[in-house]
Order: sequence, then structure tokens, then C-alpha cells
Amino acid sequence: MNQRTREYLRGRFGDHYRRVSVELPPATDRREWGYIPFTSSEGTTMVRHKSAFDVGDLGTFLTRERPRHVYFSAGRYDDPGARSMNEKGWNESDLVFDLDADHLPGVDPEEDSYASMLATCKEALERLLVFLEEDFGFDDMTVVFSGGRGYHVHVRDESVRSLDRDQRREVVDFVRGLGLEDVSQLTTVETVAGMGLKNPVEKRTLRTDGGWGQRVQSRLVALADEVREMDEEAGVARLQEFEGIGEKGATTLYNAVTNNYEQVAAGNLEAAGQYTRKLAQLFLERAVVEDGAPIDEPVTTDINRLIRLPGSLHGGSGLAVTRIARDDLDAFDPLVDAVPETFVDHDIRVDSPVERTVELQGETHNIPEGIATVRECVGVHLMARGDAEKASE
Amino acid sequence: MDAHHARYPFFESARQAVGEAGVDLVTLIREGHPAVERGRERVQRALVAGTVEQASDQRVDARTEVLSYPIARVLVSLVDAPGAVEKYAASEATTAHERFVEEFERGRQSTLGGDPLTLDAVLREFDLASVVRSDGTDTDPTEYRVAVGTYLDLAPAGDDWRLVTRELADGWVTVTRRELYDLLERAVERRVADGLPLTVPEEIADPLAAVVSEVESALATATYPRSFDRVDPGSFPPCMQALLDRARSDEESLSAAGRFALVSFLGALGMDGEAATTLVGSADESLAYAADRLDGGLYPPPSCSTMQAYDVCIDPDDRCATIDHPLEYYAEALE
Repeated sequence: MNQRTREYLRGRFGDHYRRVSVELPPATDRREWGYIPFTSSEGTTMVRHKSAFDVGDLGTFLTRERPRHVYFSAGRYDDPGARSMNEKGWNESDLVFDLDADHLPGVDPEEDSYASMLATCKEALERLLVFLEEDFGFDDMTVVFSGGRGYHVHVRDESVRSLDRDQRREVVDFVRGLGLEDVSQLTTVETVAGMGLKNPVEKRTLRTDGGWGQRVQSRLVALADEVREMDEEAGVARLQEFEGIGEKGATTLYNAVTNNYEQVAAGNLEAAGQYTRKLAQLFLERAVVEDGAPIDEPVTTDINRLIRLPGSLHGGSGLAVTRIARDDLDAFDPLVDAVPETFVDHDIRVDSPVERTVELQGETHNIPEGIATVRECVGVHLMARGDAEKASE
Repeated sequence: MDAHHARYPFFESARQAVGEAGVDLVTLIREGHPAVERGRERVQRALVAGTVEQASDQRVDARTEVLSYPIARVLVSLVDAPGAVEKYAASEATTAHERFVEEFERGRQSTLGGDPLTLDAVLREFDLASVVRSDGTDTDPTEYRVAVGTYLDLAPAGDDWRLVTRELADGWVTVTRRELYDLLERAVERRVADGLPLTVPEEIADPLAAVVSEVESALATATYPRSFDRVDPGSFPPCMQALLDRARSDEESLSAAGRFALVSFLGALGMDGEAATTLVGSADESLAYAADRLDGGLYPPPSCSTMQAYDVCIDPDDRCATIDHPLEYYAEALE
């Protein structure tokens, strides 16, 4: 990024901050603040350990400093401006989740377009929200488009703010399904005596009142519902599609779901001998892949993490870090809704070393090699990414 | 001061009763009140036997029992042995657990008289009434729901407690009644450990010096190999190797039990605080602190069964099946 580009972006970020008012997080004065300025050096130096008092009025600070990136801490402290974490005196932290398209399974940052990476990330966000809303039942959640390649969720329910790192790791493992290797981990064991047997037998039942046990059970029930509607031949064939289930197992299972449906549906893993358990194990592996939310663990477990400030501009994309109301999430399109109003009314001239395509505002913009006139938001996006420089007007 | 207070001297009501009785600790100690002797037993049994129950059948009166608790807190603060506070709190909690389970389950009158304690009363005592629920109208529920924040806060270490394996719906984790009791034990442990070690003024510490050294010498006698000519981490039992790795790692931290086990093990090998810190590195600040308080293995390292109970018996190998103390393993491995 050359000097002209830097000064242009900094100036326009300032114009933006003059137009908008950035909403502050709760307990602003107990948090640490940090920012990365527009500087000439290649390395990004974060200015941190600032208290709200150091920053002063946020609107004034943003229009005066015109930072490239702005952050605030998940943590709340006695003395947020102190230089070391010990001196800060930690009180509590928001529980923060970060989904980053770069790290999602099935995403190739070299190959996939920005739009398609963000779409994949939004699907992962929806899976995460199922956990946070239905399993954890959190109330105070803020969903945010990061302005870059992902989404953040800030949870501020009082019951989780005092959790330490290890306890937060338990939350991470839960939403990722980490550590679930054998379906027996999700069962209760009852020792059943008698029934003509010499030795008592163990009866394993899925724990189905929420969590991963319930996710396995719902898959078992769906399959049972599907198969019991079929005649034996079709049902057995369907069941043999599952790895490790042969004709004998499929027949046993078919009989169990037709004659003993209630037991299968209740999560009784002995309902068809070893075969119910085998199926349940397959469904567990599927559930982890299909339902797990691949969040970035260190963000959630770091109680002192600095997070991008919602409402600020992302200096690597020129997009706004955007709060998303829960009801608006379905319709939210980051490449439309996070484009700052400030940058939509003008055209500017940029110099791109190669031909490029940019998807923004619902349109595909083809950028030729060399100097071209583009809509400002497209130019800002290219320049912020380092893909183009400002050309003279 | 009644039987409830005697059985659960860390309850707020017991603390109040002591306050209202206007008892002066200094006078009590100077006059050699029986609570001092019972306080010594409380700490010593906690550290050596993992319980604070009296050893003899001769019960002390309720007042003595209640007063022995604040005295025990003073004593354990004066005992110079690493991990003493943690171990003491854990033992108070274990004993409390046994006592309230006995009362809940059998509705049994306490041996000191009075009405049996109810689960609701204990939940209220620890501010848990609103975060623990039982289902519906069942008068004798076998399952409870615990708010997930509270669950994470109180759950002990161990695979069975991993949240990922649990039923969690709308913010509530399902636990069995037995598991709820385990969570309550942790709440007791937390309450007892709160504020410890105390800063003890000289006017109290001085007259207790003899009692404190009695406790310390009791700690110094135990039946495991006691003398080693070298420190060879390659011959450590797998549990200690694993704990050492964890202590050296920036990513993992040791549980209190793990830290205590490792530090006391190193102490028993004759390492002083500086040597232990050098071996471990300084990644773990609380370990460095504990190691600094090492005093020639004054405090006996836990046996294999204790290691298992605290979930720090890690990757036992074939030799482990033949020994019952980590130091025995080390002695054999050195040969």
C-alpha cells in the first residue's frame, strides 16, 4: 500500500466515522481498547492497553485517529489501561465465538471466491447458533459480521462471564463435538439381570434430553420412520446401505423398527442386538461432521482477547463490522449489507496490477488491469486488501 | 451452636452463631480449650487420612466441634507444607459430602440430635436454589437439572463430567442425584478454601506453635521409600511424567491435585524449591509458588489410590499394577 492509497483510505475512513455513530459495548470503561493505525511500515503494530479514559469519546477518537482496525476486550477489568494482565485485575469476560472462513472444512482460500467462503461461513454460523440458542439457551447474544472472512458471536449472559479458560474449553468442545469417539459416551448403562440369561447383561440407552445424544437419537428415529414405511425387502436394502450392516444385521434392524419401534425411538441401543449400537455409532460420526460448529478455539478460551468493534470499519476489506439482528440473519448478505453507505455514491480511479473480479452490492465488478474508474466501495475494498493502489483523479 | 452447626461448621449460620456467642479465639487458644485439640485433629486427619471425622468414638460437644473449625483454619494456614490448604479443603468437603448424603438419603437423625438436613437447605446455603431444578412433582427425584454455568463451575475433573457427553437443553444440564451431591461437595470445598491461607497474627500463631509442629511431624511419617540418591525424570512413573509435561506446557495447566502430587513427589526426591522450579521451568506460576514452599518432602506425596481418586493417575503401565505408591515405582525403576 503506497502513501497515496494510505492517505486516501485514512481520509475516507475519517469521513465515514463523521457520518455514523458507533454503538458502544456494555461496560465500556472496564474494557481494554486497542487499534491498528494506518502506518507506512509493513508490520502491523497494535496500540493496546488503552482504557476508555485514554481513548476518550469514541466518536471523537475515531474521527481524529482514523484507525485502520479497532478492537475492544472481551474481558472486563479493574484497571483496563494497565500494561500487564496481572495489573489489569481481571473480573470477567464475554464468551466470544469466532468463525473464520479460512479455517472451515471444505473451504479452499486459494480457490474459493470471497462470496462463497462467506456463504459457507454463514452456514457454520447457523449451526453454531443452534447450539447457543437451543442447547445453551443463551439470551444475551450479539451476532456480528467481522468485516473480513467470518462472523463473531458475543455472549454476555451473566452465568458465563466468570468462566475460566478450562471451563470455556468445555463449551468449545461441546459445539465442535470434540472428544466424542464412542457412542457409549452418550449412554446410561443399566445392568439387567435374568431374562433366562446366566449372566446379567448391560443395557445401554442414549441420553436423549438435549446435547449430542439427542442428535444421534433424532437420526436414528428419522431412519426408523423411513424404514418402517417400507416393505421388508426395501427396508433391508436401505439398512444395508450403512457401513458395517450386512443382510443379517439389516434384517434384525428391520424387525426391531417394525416390531419394537418404541424401544428404538427411545434410544435403547440393545433394541436390535449389536446393530442398533453400530448404527448409533455411525450417526454419531455423522452428527459431529454435519452439526458441529468449527469455531476457532483460541478466541473462545482466551479471556483477555481483543475483538473487532462492531460498527467500526475493517481495514483489510473496507467493509463495516456489522451487528446483525437475529431476525435479519437469514436475509443478511455481507457483500451488500456491510458495504458502508459512505462509499457507494462516488466513482474513483484505481490502479490494479492484474485483471480482477469483485462481487459487491449484488453485482459482479470486472476490474481491468491498469487504471480504471470503479465505484468507490469496490475501489476501497481492492485497496484495503492490497490488490490495487489509488490512481490520481 | 447446635448439631447442624457442628456437622457443617462452614455454613453461614454456624459462622453467625460463633459470632453471636462472642467467642474470642485468642482466649480459647491461650486457655487450651478442647476445640484446639479437636482443631488439631481436624487438620491432621484431613491431611493424612482425607477426612475430618473424629478418630475416637468419644464425641466432643457441639460447641467444641463448631469452634474447632475456625481453629483448624488457623492451623492449616500455619502448617508449612505445600498443598496443605487444598488438601484440607478437599477433606472437609469429602466429610461434608458423606454427612449430608447420609442425612438426605436416610432422612436419618444426626447422631448429635436435631432434624435431618434437607437438600433444599443445602442448595439455599450455597446460593444454588435458583440454578438447580428437579423435574415436576416428583417428591424423590433421581435426576436434576443444573444451569450450565453452575455445572461448568462446579464439575470435578474426569471424563464422565465432560460437557460434550452431557444432556444439555435450553441451558440446563441433566445430572443424577449422586452427581448433584458431587457438585455440592465442590461447593463446600470452594467455601472452605475461600480466604485460606489466613494471615495469622503472632498473638495467635505463637501459642499454637507446638500444635502446628505436632501436625507437621505427623505428616513426615509415612510408609514409602524415603531416600533417593538421584533425580532421574526418565524413571518417573507415567503419572509424574505426564504431570511434569503438563507443568512445562504453556497450553495446559495442572489441577490443584496434579500440582500437589507433582510438587510433593519432587519434594520426596529431596528437591528443594529452586531445584524443582529449574526442573519444571517457570511456565506454571502456582507450581513455582508451591515448589518454593517445599521443605524436604515434609508433606507426603499421594498414594496411587489417592492419585486415582483425584483423576491424576495417568497412563498407568505394567509396573503400576505391582506398586501402590508413585515413589515405589520410582525406586524400582531406578534399580
